[in-house]
Amino acid sequence: MSTVTVDGVEVEMEAGATLLDAAKAAGRWVPTLCFDERQAPFGACRVCLVGLADSPKPVPACTTPCRDGMEVETEQPAARRVAGAVVELALSELPGRPAAGTELARVAERLDVTEPRWPGAVHERRGDLRHPYLALQHELCISCGRCVRACDEVQGAFALTATGRGFEANIAAGLDAGFEDSTCVSCGACADTCPTDAITEIGLLPQLSEE
Amino acid sequence: MSQNLVELIRRRHAVQAPTALDVLKEAVDDHGEVTDADRVHAAELSGLPEAAVYGVSTFYDDLLAPRGRRHVRVCTGTACFAAAGEAPLEQIGAGLGLKPGERDAEGSVSLAETVCLGFCHSSPAVRDGETIDAGTGVIDRVLGSATRAAPEPEWESLLPEPVLTRPGDWAGLRRALTELDPETLLSEVEAAEVRGRGGAGFPAGTKWHFARDAAGEEKFIVANGDEGDPGSYIDKYLMERSPELVLEGMALAGLAVGAGHGFVLCRSEYPLSKPALETAAASARAEGLLGEGILGTGFDFDVTVIEGAGSYVVGEETALLACIQGLRGTVSARPPFPAERGIQGMPTVVNNIETLANIPYVAARGAGAYHGLSPDSETAGSKLVCFNQCFARPSVYEVPFGATVRKLCQEVAGGLRDGATIKAVQIGGPLGGILPASLLDTRFDFDALAAVGCMVGHGSILAFDESTSMREVATHLLRFGADESCGKCFPCRIGLHRAHEEFASGAPVDRERLEQLLETLELGSLCAHGSGMPAPLRSLLEHFPEELGLE
Repeated sequence: MSTVTVDGVEVEMEAGATLLDAAKAAGRWVPTLCFDERQAPFGACRVCLVGLADSPKPVPACTTPCRDGMEVETEQPAARRVAGAVVELALSELPGRPAAGTELARVAERLDVTEPRWPGAVHERRGDLRHPYLALQHELCISCGRCVRACDEVQGAFALTATGRGFEANIAAGLDAGFEDSTCVSCGACADTCPTDAITEIGLLPQLSEE
Repeated sequence: MSQNLVELIRRRHAVQAPTALDVLKEAVDDHGEVTDADRVHAAELSGLPEAAVYGVSTFYDDLLAPRGRRHVRVCTGTACFAAAGEAPLEQIGAGLGLKPGERDAEGSVSLAETVCLGFCHSSPAVRDGETIDAGTGVIDRVLGSATRAAPEPEWESLLPEPVLTRPGDWAGLRRALTELDPETLLSEVEAAEVRGRGGAGFPAGTKWHFARDAAGEEKFIVANGDEGDPGSYIDKYLMERSPELVLEGMALAGLAVGAGHGFVLCRSEYPLSKPALETAAASARAEGLLGEGILGTGFDFDVTVIEGAGSYVVGEETALLACIQGLRGTVSARPPFPAERGIQGMPTVVNNIETLANIPYVAARGAGAYHGLSPDSETAGSKLVCFNQCFARPSVYEVPFGATVRKLCQEVAGGLRDGATIKAVQIGGPLGGILPASLLDTRFDFDALAAVGCMVGHGSILAFDESTSMREVATHLLRFGADESCGKCFPCRIGLHRAHEEFASGAPVDRERLEQLLETLELGSLCAHGSGMPAPLRSLLEHFPEELGLE
């Protein structure tokens, strides 16, 4: 057990708990994009940064274990500045705005991030509609790894992978020949967790494009 | 790293299955590219899911560029850039009629970029098949199909008695096995304050202590030979000239922490390193210095040498562990640290090659003697430094810590060749700060360099002469940074690409937005690649702002 203070609220945390768990226990909001409570923390998006007393740099809440006596500030200025800047970078790689209601759109709104100021390259549009239920729009992928981990940790189907590196990073099903030619069992866990609807139910596509 | 995939690999390792990366590399060696049939085959042999194998096949440079019967790789590292700018790749590409990453229709010739071949002492360098040629006239020799192996420089120690530039004699391991027990050896390494030579400077003894205390059925030692820092060819020399010293250091680490097996990961850009290490390991086994019951004691330790496949970030320790296990070389969040959960989920020590090469001296002579090697510095031990082609006597030198950078540049390496003057030096690799000529009197050690925004890093000292454009340096470094980002964390994956776009555009760079981006990279990145790339940019902003085209 450890006692952690989050924005002045003391919480008792079990061994193995993270600062994100502590923030939730204290009723405080911390932005996240790559986190899904059904999966092991991944630490990729870096928008869950929080201030920590006596730490020169903000720390990622999702991968930092609680230690007794820690004092966390969720809205520390540097942490929130970086979180906003990262969300702006994520928006800048998409060819259009994320659909309203997606986790990315909601986090951006809450952090007051509007139009990205980076005019450079965006992901090339590449839609894969070969599966009867699951649509994969590669250009909307922000490489958060949630679909890959859902397939690995939740479903155990191992049908998805991260691909490429750097700005070209993306995802693929199987040998990149679509869900049907992979070990996909059509469970939909990937679509359920995707924060941008890069993977979604085909039936929802017309609705998304109207928005 | 996926715990499920690591568990799959652990089970396959027990039956000595090859890793997926091994199988994919063999496919490229055999027929010049990775096909879907190769991926399916790699999945069957390694036990990894097909999708995971696909992910691996899209990550490493060596698996991505198709190869013709003649495969030409042009080094675009920072030393080659300082010597010749973009000319080698442009001219060789034009001469062969190929862009980087292309192969001609007949499959006879192919062209790729590579960073870096470790011939920074005689840049520019090109690898033509298995031959690495370098220096004046190399472009003409490549285009005339007349390449020849470039000479390797001789190294030199400026210490009264060489510590690192000597052949290994296994005296440290002999003493440790006869006169010391593992606890005493560990205490000696802790007292010696051996700091990591790979960049971060973390105390080796502390790392060992964590691994010794961690619970695990097995423990592993990993020697990080992924010296990807352009401009550095120090670990290359240790692996190729003194492989015994590295192996002895690994065995000592194994003895101190209770590990029975070690892995060396060396780079595919250094084709001589793996054979040199394997030959030395075979000799050591024959002499009873590796294997079971070393020197007649109950200590067992052996080593496997693995070659990477082209990725800078694999030099980061968690990415290195992923690569050794044949996975995508992406970084994992710490904790858990490798000392708790590394290879096959077991406690693992990851030390840089040069760090390990320091250990035999500590074991043989003790911590006191080790502290005496650098009387003018707080940093213990000695350091290998190396210089780029712009210097009159570029080579690898063993120096004590504490000399000024000016002394190293002028007296040790002879100043710049052809009467050129130093405009600035970048120390320790692409994540190191850039020291302008006005600050050359800074002392070369961990603390003094950190105070001016620089670092010891890998120990490379790379000079830019007066003709160098600092905007071009910034563009070059950011291109490297963006190309090599593993793609895991958002700040590095997107931010370095944006920073490179800004500098490459030719348009004025918005200083305020750039500084916000540097802060995002520094505070937000998952590993030292993203958080370190701003260091040289900060130096350029401080010392050469007028050259960067800022607004």
